[in-house]
Amino acid sequence: MIEARNITRTYTGRGAFTGTRTVHALRGVDFTLPRGGAVSFIGESGCGKTTLGKVLTGLETFDEGELLVDGTDLAKLSARRRAPYFRRIQMIHQDPYSALNPTRDVGQILGDPLRMRARETGATRAQQRERAAELLELVGLRPAVLAKYPHQLSGGQRQRVVVARALTVDPEALVADESVSMIDVSMRLGILSLLRDLRERLGISLLFITHDVATARYLGEGGELHVIYRGQVIERGPTDTVVQRPVHPYTQCLLSAIPVLRGLEEPGPDRLVPLAALDERAATPGCLFAPRCPFATAECAAGRPALTALPADDAHRHACLHPRARRVVATEAAAVR
Amino acid sequence: MTDPTPHHDGAATAGARPAEVEIRDLTVVYRTEHGDLPAVSHASLDLRAGEITGLVGESGSGKSTLALSLLNAVPAPGRITTGSVEVAGVGDVTRLTGRRLRRTRGSALGYVFQASQNSLNPLKTVGKQLLDLGRSHEVEDLRGLVRRAGDLCERMGLDADRVLDSYQHELSGGMRQRIGIVLALVLNAEVLVLDEPTTALDMISQAAVLDIVRSVHRENGLATLVVTHDMGVVSEIADRLAVMYGGRIVEHGPAGELLRRPSHPYTRALIGATARIVGDPGLARALPGQPPDLTTLARRGCVFRDRCPLAMPVCEESDPALSEWTPGRFRACHAEPAPADRAAAVPAPRTQDDPIGGRP
Repeated sequence: MIEARNITRTYTGRGAFTGTRTVHALRGVDFTLPRGGAVSFIGESGCGKTTLGKVLTGLETFDEGELLVDGTDLAKLSARRRAPYFRRIQMIHQDPYSALNPTRDVGQILGDPLRMRARETGATRAQQRERAAELLELVGLRPAVLAKYPHQLSGGQRQRVVVARALTVDPEALVADESVSMIDVSMRLGILSLLRDLRERLGISLLFITHDVATARYLGEGGELHVIYRGQVIERGPTDTVVQRPVHPYTQCLLSAIPVLRGLEEPGPDRLVPLAALDERAATPGCLFAPRCPFATAECAAGRPALTALPADDAHRHACLHPRARRVVATEAAAVR
Repeated sequence: MTDPTPHHDGAATAGARPAEVEIRDLTVVYRTEHGDLPAVSHASLDLRAGEITGLVGESGSGKSTLALSLLNAVPAPGRITTGSVEVAGVGDVTRLTGRRLRRTRGSALGYVFQASQNSLNPLKTVGKQLLDLGRSHEVEDLRGLVRRAGDLCERMGLDADRVLDSYQHELSGGMRQRIGIVLALVLNAEVLVLDEPTTALDMISQAAVLDIVRSVHRENGLATLVVTHDMGVVSEIADRLAVMYGGRIVEHGPAGELLRRPSHPYTRALIGATARIVGDPGLARALPGQPPDLTTLARRGCVFRDRCPLAMPVCEESDPALSEWTPGRFRACHAEPAPADRAAAVPAPRTQDDPIGGRP
C-alpha cells in the first residue's frame, strides 16, 4: 500500500529579467493507493501531474509531506535504504519511442533488470531467460520479439515492451504517466486493457496520470479519480462519480473538452467553453482556478477553498466555494441500436 | 479525362458547390529495396468549400502521404505514379513543378504540418518568419500581410503583437499550433489541410484548437481536410469522413451517418476501440493485430482481411473497389452491407451546428 500525505513540491527558478519566480508543482497532495487498487490523476499540461509521478518513483524529491510504503516513511530513510522501496514502484513512460535504447534488442532490454533482480531472488540464467519470454507473453507479444530492436516494433508493441521491462523487477505498483497518449488511438485500448489485466490478475496497483478522462475512466474503474489543478487536488472521488457528477468548474471544463462522437453521442447540455491558456505562475491568494473560471465571484478571489466533502457523499470531495452539478458529459445519442 | 469513380454527390452534399479539390485515382509509391510499394492506392476524394473532411487512419495507413500529395510534396523515395489532384483555379497539382508549384503551396493550399508545434524556426521570431513567407511569395504589401496575420491572431484569441515578437520557445504548444494555422491562412488559401492538428496537445488546448479550426473554416468558407488517427477529433468537427487503411480509402460518407452506422468492418472496429466517456467501458474492444506497413501490406486481395472478422475466401483474391452502396455512402468491402444498415441509412438530423459549449 502506498500512501501520500500532504506532498508538496515547489520549484524556484531565476529568470534573467523576471527575478525569482516560484512554481508550485504540488500543493499538499494526499492519496492512498491500496494493493491492487487504482488511482487516476487528471489535469492539463503544467498542472503538476508529471511531478507527482516522478516523486512516487523516486525520480524527484519533495519538500514537505510523507510518502509511506507499507507504513514506512521513505523521506526518513537514507537513499540506500530507500532504493528497495522504489523498486516496488515502477514507471511506464509516456513516449515508447524514446524510453527504449535503440542499440539494444528486446532480450537485452529485459535481460539487464532481470539479472539485477536475480541477485535478490537467486534466479539462474535459464530461469531469467524463461522469465523474459513469460513476461513478453504476459504483455501480449510473441517470444520472437526478444531478438528484435525497438525500431522494428510499432508504437503499441514498444509500449508493451516498456510494460514488460517494468514488470521484470516484480513491482507492486505501476505509475503510468500519459502512457497511451503517443500511441495510435486504435492501439491504445490494447495497452489499457493490458494494464487493467495486470491489475486484476496480478494485483498490481495502478497510478494513472493523464489529461484524457476517457482513458482514466477505462483504467480507473472502481478506483479513485483526482483532478489536479496547479498542484492542488480540486476534486476527488470514486471515478464514476466524478465523471458523471462533477461539481468543480475545472473538472467540468476538462470533461467538456472531450470530443463528442457525433451521431453516437449528444453533447451535454451544460457543456462549457474552451478555456484560455493556463498561467502556472500567476499568484493569487484566492481559488487557483478563479482567474479562468466562468463562474467566479468576488469571494473566490479572496480565499482559497480547501477540499470539502459533499453533504450527500463523503467520498466525493471538492475545493470550490460554489459547487454545482452541471451536465457537461456527452450522453449516448437516442435511437442508437 | 474520364472519372474513375462515381461522382460523390451524396445526400449530405446534394446541390453543394463544385469541389475545391478533386483527388482522382491517386497512387503514390515508395521505391524501396523490396520494389515499389504503394503507400496510397487509387484514392479518390473531393474537398468542397464550406465542408470539413476528416481523413482517419492508423499510423502507416497512408493518410499523411495522401495529404502531402495535395501539395505535390511527397518526399523521396515516394512519387505519384497515377491520378491527379485538381485544385480549383490552379489545375492539376501533380503536374506542376518549380516556381509555379512553390507559388501554389501556401497561396492556394494552406498546410499545417504534423507536429507543427515544432515546425517554427527557433532562431527567428514569428513575425520574421511571416515576412519570409511573404517575400518568398512575392507579396508586395508586406504591411498588409502583417495586418492580416494580426487579424487572424486576434480571431484565434492570440495577442498579435506579443505573438509576432515571440520566438517559438516562448509560446505554448496550443499557441504554436494556432500560429501554424495563421501562417497557413495568411496568404488567403481557400483550402486548408491540417495534419494531426491536436496530437501532443492536452484536452483543453485540443478543444480550443478544434473550436478555432471550426470557426475560421466557417468564416472563410474554406475547404478543409483534417488528417488524424483520432476518431474523436474528426467526429467533433468533420462534415464528411473518409477512413483509410493500408493506402486505400475503405469507407467514405457523411460524418454523423458513418459514425452511427459504420459499414466497413474496419470502421466499426476503429469506433469500437475508442475509449469513450459514455457507455460501459467493458464493451470497448481493442483492434486485434497490428496495422500493416508498406512491407507487410497484402499485395493481393483486401488489405484488411487479416484483421477482419468477416474475411471470406474472395477477400484473398480480389481487392474490393470503393463503391456507393447507398446514396452518399461509399465502402470497399466484399461482405454485403447489413440489411438493417441499408434500411436505416436515412439522412440524420445534423448536430454539427453546435460548437463546443455554444459560444455566445
